[in-house]
Amino acid sequence: MRFLLLICVFLTTSAAAQRVDANLDCKYTGKDFIYDCVIRLSRGGEPLSGAQLSVGADMPSMPMAHSIKPVKARSGKKPGEYAARLDLEMPGEWTVKLRLAGPVRDLLIVHYNFTESGTAPRK
Amino acid sequence: MDEYAIGVLTNIGLFSFVALSAWLLLVAGELSFGQQAFFGVGAYAAGIGTAMLGWPLPLAALAAMALGAAAAALVGLPTLRLRGLYFTMATLAAAEMLRILFELFHWQIALGDERIGPDGTQGFRGIRWMLERGIEPLDFLAMVWILLIGVMVIFLRVENSRLGATLRALGHDPELARSAGIDVDRLKLGVVAAGGALAALGGALFAHHNTYIEPRNFDIMLGVHSLAYGLIGGLGTAFGPLLGVVLDIGVLEATRSLQGYRMIVFGGLVAVLLVFRPRGLLDERVVHWIRSRA
Amino acid sequence: MIDFLQNTLDGLALGSSYALLALGFTLIFGVLRRANLAYGPAIMLGCYCATWAYLKTGIGLLFLALIAVAGSTLAGVYVERLCFAPHRKGAAAAAMVASFALWMQFEELATLALPRHLYAFPALYAGGPLSLGRLTLRVESLVMLVAAILVCAALWRILYRSRFGTAVRAVIDSPAAAELSGISVSAVSLQVFALASAIGGLAGFLIVSGNEQVTPMLGMWSTLKGMLAMMLGGLGSLPGAIAGGVALGLREAHSQWYLGPQLRDFIAYLLLFVLLAVRPPWMNTRSAY
Repeated sequence: MRFLLLICVFLTTSAAAQRVDANLDCKYTGKDFIYDCVIRLSRGGEPLSGAQLSVGADMPSMPMAHSIKPVKARSGKKPGEYAARLDLEMPGEWTVKLRLAGPVRDLLIVHYNFTESGTAPRK
Repeated sequence: MDEYAIGVLTNIGLFSFVALSAWLLLVAGELSFGQQAFFGVGAYAAGIGTAMLGWPLPLAALAAMALGAAAAALVGLPTLRLRGLYFTMATLAAAEMLRILFELFHWQIALGDERIGPDGTQGFRGIRWMLERGIEPLDFLAMVWILLIGVMVIFLRVENSRLGATLRALGHDPELARSAGIDVDRLKLGVVAAGGALAALGGALFAHHNTYIEPRNFDIMLGVHSLAYGLIGGLGTAFGPLLGVVLDIGVLEATRSLQGYRMIVFGGLVAVLLVFRPRGLLDERVVHWIRSRA
Repeated sequence: MIDFLQNTLDGLALGSSYALLALGFTLIFGVLRRANLAYGPAIMLGCYCATWAYLKTGIGLLFLALIAVAGSTLAGVYVERLCFAPHRKGAAAAAMVASFALWMQFEELATLALPRHLYAFPALYAGGPLSLGRLTLRVESLVMLVAAILVCAALWRILYRSRFGTAVRAVIDSPAAAELSGISVSAVSLQVFALASAIGGLAGFLIVSGNEQVTPMLGMWSTLKGMLAMMLGGLGSLPGAIAGGVALGLREAHSQWYLGPQLRDFIAYLLLFVLLAVRPPWMNTRSAY
């Protein structure tokens, strides 16, 4: 039954919703490729609080194998801020995947270059 | 199931499509280093279908498979008579050409207040068909595996048919197969096209799972891994490539505590395994033995 | 015109590094009729050993070169014993995939020892480029060119003027006949692997000291360029490997200048694909493995 429902969903068209924006700011902890990250979420310019956020990361080559286990983010100090600690295999370019659950469901993709000081957006 | 387990199982499913397509060519006697390109063709085609043209996913996936098969046939036609390393290098060259074409591919359209579409090396973001329909990761996982099981059923049926025997004859010795009256060129072209379609289906699903693709996702690493999975798992049965994927991804995920050493351990294990089982764990003899017991 | 000449000069310099890589690759392929995917990664590992030694002790270039060559040779011997010796008869796919598995091993070993994406490597020559009229030539390129010529001459002597060379050529012609006449194919293969990896190690050292940096990408890069040059040169022939390497370098330098890096690579693969599909007479496409 669930599957039939799914097929119905597959054949419908979509309704556009207002999109969530995200940015990431990480600091290298000095221990092998563990980064402390602050994620800021906003929707239509307003900070988005109260989302259930999990943070994962893939490498550009073979994203299906080179991925890290997603971690749940905690609420941060300011509205719309979340904190998470990422344990990466190595520094370099990572595609960070932010999955939102709860009131807002979404999957946001951001690209960052992880260096030995922190993150910089990928060119 | 938690998000992590769903993610790992989905990745195993997605990888299995490319591994099966590489395995199919391996059974027909050829090593392809190029299946990743058809995976990429499928990913781009299906992404364009749903995100830019507004097609439903099933239609976009079918179009992706057709395009994948066509691309593979196009590569296959001039290389039909090549054997061994020459065929392997030709597939690698074709796959790298396609990857560079993805890097040069810019086609974006305005949807709402943003521009959607492939943007060269910047990738193709916003393939949000699943999210827009509220399809949960667990449902997506079910879909991937239902399709994979469907593909496996077809493979297992073919294996026990005349076509399967012909295919193995081709893989064993193409000259002998030719002299036995098998239309080797047509069969090989069919195998290549089927492999392309299969890889493209995997790519179509991957694009929608990830919502974002970029040319580097489809580099040679993916192709060589797929080939390795088929050989590690075994040439005797279509379960071989699946076993290969499960062993690699499964072992990688299970040994996170060994982080940093796991490829050293795993790489060595594979090399040693192939010393004793050069046609993989589930090779023809093992499969025959299991069949005779059953 | 001056651009054309300068590009040709740059292409020759680049091509001599490709020729060195292709020489090692071709030696292995000629004797074993197998493609060794771990060829480049073994070179990379040798260069990483040298980089590691440099960071720990700061020793001089000559020692670094020795370490790079020794490291590559050891890695090559390891690859031969584990991936190629057990699969001497048949099982070409298994040998290739096994060498790929060891590639993964080498890459992880290297990133484990030196985890950053890029390390500085001491420069081969600290001064500026030479100028010849309006043309410039880097001293490093000149060294590479001379090294390629010297290695070639030495290989020629070894292959055609020594007992070992006779054995190698006998194995290339027919392993079965060589075995019958008392040559140990296994021993010859191992020695050829060691020799080829040593040449690769030298090429790798010259490349990283010329670029003054080393990254794990060196592994895949060396395998790909070595294989491409070998293919262009017609597979399994040493003069062909040199011609293929130089042709690849010249073509890359010119198309880089006129078309940019993406089209440069595209044309490299297109050329290879067309060559394979058309099969000109110098490409012996029957006995690939």
